[in-house]
Amino acid sequence: MSASGRPPELVVEGLPARRRRWVEIATSANHKDVGGILIVAALGFLFIALVELLLMRLQLAIPENTFLSPVTFNRMLSLYGVTAIVLFALPLAVGFFYYLTPLQIGARGTALPRLGQTGAWLYLAGATVLYAGFLFTPSEAGVNPLAPLSELAFLPNNGVDAWAAATGLATLGLVLIAIDLATTLRTMRAPGMAWRRLPIFSWASAICSWLLIAIGPVMLAAVTMLLIDRNYEGIFFAGDAGGSPLLWQHLSWIFFTGSYMLILIAALGAIAEIFPAFSGKPLFDRGATIGSLIAIAVIGTLAWLQNMLIAPIGIAWMYFAMVMALALIVPFGIVLFNLIATLSGGAVRVRAPMLFAAGAVSAISIGLASEMSHSMIALGWRLQNTVDSTAATHFALVGGAVFGGFAALHWWFPKITGRTMGENLARISFWTMAVGTLLAFAPLFLAGTVEGQVIDAYKFFDSTGVNAYNLIASIGTFVLAIGIVMTLVNAILSRNAGPEAGHDPWGGESLEWFALSPPEPHNFDVLPDVRSAHPMRDIRDAIAHRSGSGERPDRETQPVA
Amino acid sequence: MGPSSPGTDQIDTLLWIGFIAATIVIVAVNVALIGGLRRNRATRGAEPRQLTGGRRIRVRVAAVLTAFAAVLFVLSAIYTENARETPATGPEGLQAANQEPLRIEATGQQWLWRYDYPNESFSFYKLVVPVDTEVVLDLVSTDVVHTWDVPSLAGKADAVPGRRNRVTFRADEEGTFRGQSATLSGQAYAAMRTEVEVVSPDRYEAFVEGTKDDLEAAQDRVVGLLEEGRTP
Repeated sequence: MSASGRPPELVVEGLPARRRRWVEIATSANHKDVGGILIVAALGFLFIALVELLLMRLQLAIPENTFLSPVTFNRMLSLYGVTAIVLFALPLAVGFFYYLTPLQIGARGTALPRLGQTGAWLYLAGATVLYAGFLFTPSEAGVNPLAPLSELAFLPNNGVDAWAAATGLATLGLVLIAIDLATTLRTMRAPGMAWRRLPIFSWASAICSWLLIAIGPVMLAAVTMLLIDRNYEGIFFAGDAGGSPLLWQHLSWIFFTGSYMLILIAALGAIAEIFPAFSGKPLFDRGATIGSLIAIAVIGTLAWLQNMLIAPIGIAWMYFAMVMALALIVPFGIVLFNLIATLSGGAVRVRAPMLFAAGAVSAISIGLASEMSHSMIALGWRLQNTVDSTAATHFALVGGAVFGGFAALHWWFPKITGRTMGENLARISFWTMAVGTLLAFAPLFLAGTVEGQVIDAYKFFDSTGVNAYNLIASIGTFVLAIGIVMTLVNAILSRNAGPEAGHDPWGGESLEWFALSPPEPHNFDVLPDVRSAHPMRDIRDAIAHRSGSGERPDRETQPVA
Repeated sequence: MGPSSPGTDQIDTLLWIGFIAATIVIVAVNVALIGGLRRNRATRGAEPRQLTGGRRIRVRVAAVLTAFAAVLFVLSAIYTENARETPATGPEGLQAANQEPLRIEATGQQWLWRYDYPNESFSFYKLVVPVDTEVVLDLVSTDVVHTWDVPSLAGKADAVPGRRNRVTFRADEEGTFRGQSATLSGQAYAAMRTEVEVVSPDRYEAFVEGTKDDLEAAQDRVVGLLEEGRTP
């Protein structure tokens, strides 16, 4: 009621009419809309990657199968690799970072919102270019299209061009988002949010942004050179004309190895938020974990040469690769130790996010342990380019991107949508996926180490002793796919029908749980002063204290004796 | 697929070391994880103990992990150097002047391996080598990257166009060993196999000489037909 006593006058004229919802989202530069687009698109590409994997596994179910022609198989393989890494795993991680980092650091948005928006749409443009390749012919050059197979002389259709353009656009988009994130983290932290108080997932966000800014341009350079080679008679990678096929291997492996580390850092960052929350105690050693994540980004990317142990690179470089790869044991070991030590003495509630997080730790440990043996030089000569390396990579990346990604999805779904994902379906999905992952990839360890079955082949021969392994792997992949689809369905169903979550359903420690679920466009009306690395716990304690509902709980941390 | 050369013997030992190391890591992480989840289940009214790590425990964990990595490094280096060192030709092998190893050029091409022997004869698909002889395979490629991989005889290595790579081995027993290319090279990649036949030095000599004679006879016949004005 206004001061004069008259009812307030409503002025509607001159206000912009509210546009339709999809127009609002498509034109929005708000980090939550852009992050949402990335997460939804990435999960869509997870489904597509899964279909491609299933088609390949169907072909490899029995020896000398003729279900797919060699050309179709190679196309599926080429699409699968870029879809799984560049269109699913990386944007899922970046999407969660982009949605949550401003919320976690108490910012009302990002520093360069238009840059992030442009990035997301460049990524979608890249994805469109890749799948528009179906209109003519997709690439046949494999997961990592090694020159000179990717050169015009050997694959004269436009598939490789589509692959290169798509990978370039998507990578460029992700790099732009990373620039926005790094700037936001540098300049827009709430008062009191010192680096040492930054939530661990925001630390992962900072590390991954810088990592992406470092490795993304390397891939951009590589695909640009590839496009010049193919379209303007360049000779960067042409072996017989003075170029160097090995140059492509170096550049692409720097990007793919860095991406591998990025996916694991993102997953470990999310898990390092989930484990403490469901154990009711802080992360065992925050400082060491953050330092280790930084070390993984640096050392891990420097280990790119461990993919090239069978290339003509000279023994000294092989030792460099092995030193870097074995050095990774220390930071990965410290992170895994701290995650597991967080459980000890805690009050562990195994809800869906915790279940997926634990599954991720387990799968990542299996993948990394086998990668470790691959980096032992002479053993690399035996194991590289066998299906053993397929299995190792899939354990680590399915662990990181799918189990870790689903842990993050279940954990932050209430914040993003205001509703919790169905717990029962989540449990069934998790156990189906766990069984599927073991069945799908563990037999490949044996087929690779014992029988030396080679990677990427569209068929295998009856007499080579790998029939049973491949049949089990194919069945397991179907089980895994069913489990993954269950979670995707769960997310779609829970979007509008899940139980209402409230702003802090899990008892989280960082500031995103202070915002509404879903958050207001400007994130926060007011912000608390940040006085520690766990501002939400401080708020809960203060409320308990003031409402006089008892003693302030004894939450002081005590070092292990 | 047992080891049939000193080099693969070393790789096999390293495989066991790698397998044991990986198993230790997998078992340690998963037992600790599952144990941690089961032991610390929340019970009604129990307040979690707010334990966090200190400097001492951090240093200890890092020390254990570093020691583990260092042991793996040393073992890998030892067995890698052993595997790299191919023993010289033995008494059963092909005796060449001044103990030179037998050099054969292996050319990867879509989708067949070609082997060029020192006496300028060549064979496709099947490589014939004498037993107990140090063999140096020079790997080259005329088109895309191929990987020569006969696991019973040697570690695998890439043939990259514009570069030379090298595999050395000494086969200790006669027999036929199969291998397959291990880098995607196009449509018929999966069918790009190879075979190494290890024979006695006498039979090796007979094979390369016989092949050379056959090639020369074929060449003469082609030239002869053309000179007579007929198409071969």
